[in-house]
Amino acid sequence: MRDTVHALLMRELKTRFGSSRLGYFWAIVEPAAQASILAILFTIIGRNSLAGVPVALFLISGVMPFKAFSKTKTQLSNGISSNTALFAYRQVSPIDPILTRLIIELATFFVVYIIILSVMAWLGLDVWPQDLLGLLMASLLLILLAAGIGLCMNSAVLYWKDANKLMGIVTTPLFLISGVLFSATMIPAKYWYLFTWNPIFHAIELSRDAFFASYTTPVGSWGYLALVSFSFVTLGLMLYRINRIRFVTL
Amino acid sequence: MIRFENVSKYYPTKQGRRYVFKDVNIELPTDVSIAILGPNGVGKSTLVRMLGGADYPNKGQIVSDKKISWPLGLQGGLQGSMSGRENCRFVARIHGYKNTEEIEQKVYDFAEIGAYFDEPVKSYSSGMRSRVAFGLTMAFDFDFDVLLIDELGAVGDANFRHKSQALLKSKFETTKLIMVSHSMGELRKYCQSGIVVKNQTLMFFPQLEDAIQEYEETYVATN
Repeated sequence: MRDTVHALLMRELKTRFGSSRLGYFWAIVEPAAQASILAILFTIIGRNSLAGVPVALFLISGVMPFKAFSKTKTQLSNGISSNTALFAYRQVSPIDPILTRLIIELATFFVVYIIILSVMAWLGLDVWPQDLLGLLMASLLLILLAAGIGLCMNSAVLYWKDANKLMGIVTTPLFLISGVLFSATMIPAKYWYLFTWNPIFHAIELSRDAFFASYTTPVGSWGYLALVSFSFVTLGLMLYRINRIRFVTL
Repeated sequence: MIRFENVSKYYPTKQGRRYVFKDVNIELPTDVSIAILGPNGVGKSTLVRMLGGADYPNKGQIVSDKKISWPLGLQGGLQGSMSGRENCRFVARIHGYKNTEEIEQKVYDFAEIGAYFDEPVKSYSSGMRSRVAFGLTMAFDFDFDVLLIDELGAVGDANFRHKSQALLKSKFETTKLIMVSHSMGELRKYCQSGIVVKNQTLMFFPQLEDAIQEYEETYVATN
């Protein structure tokens, strides 16, 4: 199993980041650019702080977890189907590419986050998270949620080939309603119910709560986020167990 | 010895489950080479894939204490988006080799496909594919007790056939074959025993000629 994951890791790194190493560059630049553009827009309309936090930092603390979520979900959703030829070897079982991709996404998330924060620190922002453990916890739970959903999708496409397309349609607007661009304190309390069903919203709220001393989330719930994440992982594993033969049968 | 314990395998189709094998109980010897006989679509490839661990029975299990290769054939084993070299590296790594260069070189030498070795496998012709697939098994010094071959020889040119044949013969003492082919000549050359796939089960014949006779009586129209 270790040998297999190692071999897959080498293979996946190549396809994920390309053999030219330019892929590593894009992994960092993409979220950084996204946050910068948004930060510039907010600055143009005259805001230099959101919820008492510098705009750039506020946005990056939303963009990063959201990127991690959408990237992990998409990568894992295609994990099994893009490796079917390799199941010809008895050492390789369908869960292996899933684990491999999860490891890659986790590592990418942390490395990119650290690099971006370092650059921001160099530019003079105070980037040290107030509660590092809380930030880690919220990020991990969110990536776990993405992994659970991704795992479920692998089974879903067995029954309906276009399931991933539907998933794409559903998750695109999530960027706007997951609190990347705003926090709960910026909307009236009577409208919170429109957002609190969304576990990503909770994860980003909790991240910001942990990140910034000046921000305390009024709605973020650890219990809800953990419950949804573990439910999806459990569902994903059960579906995997049921379909494990169908993944390899041609 | 390879033992089938209540092995059932079906494919879900629009008309319901189509059983390829139903409650197969049989023991296959691993001290002789075995030919697998049957018409198209009867389950020969499925059988080879299950033996090689590339597919699983829906019920029951196949047990063996021997080292069985992965199925060598046109479809299995090589990932299209990776180059021949990357495929070799991958296989070497999952077998626990830390230094993969030696194996890459061996396959490169055997396959004789030159610069194509670094091109994606999906750009290969079927002959080139089989060269790499075969070279890959060779590179592991025949570290297998049983080699699974699924119509691999059918696409090779004379040179490649000659080469692989010589290699197979030289390793004959330690490695036996389980082989699918529609060429009786080829089967007679390598195999002593035979299996006929019939009525969703397997019939083993210690003598290949008996198996061929059974196959012809069952499936080949004589007039």
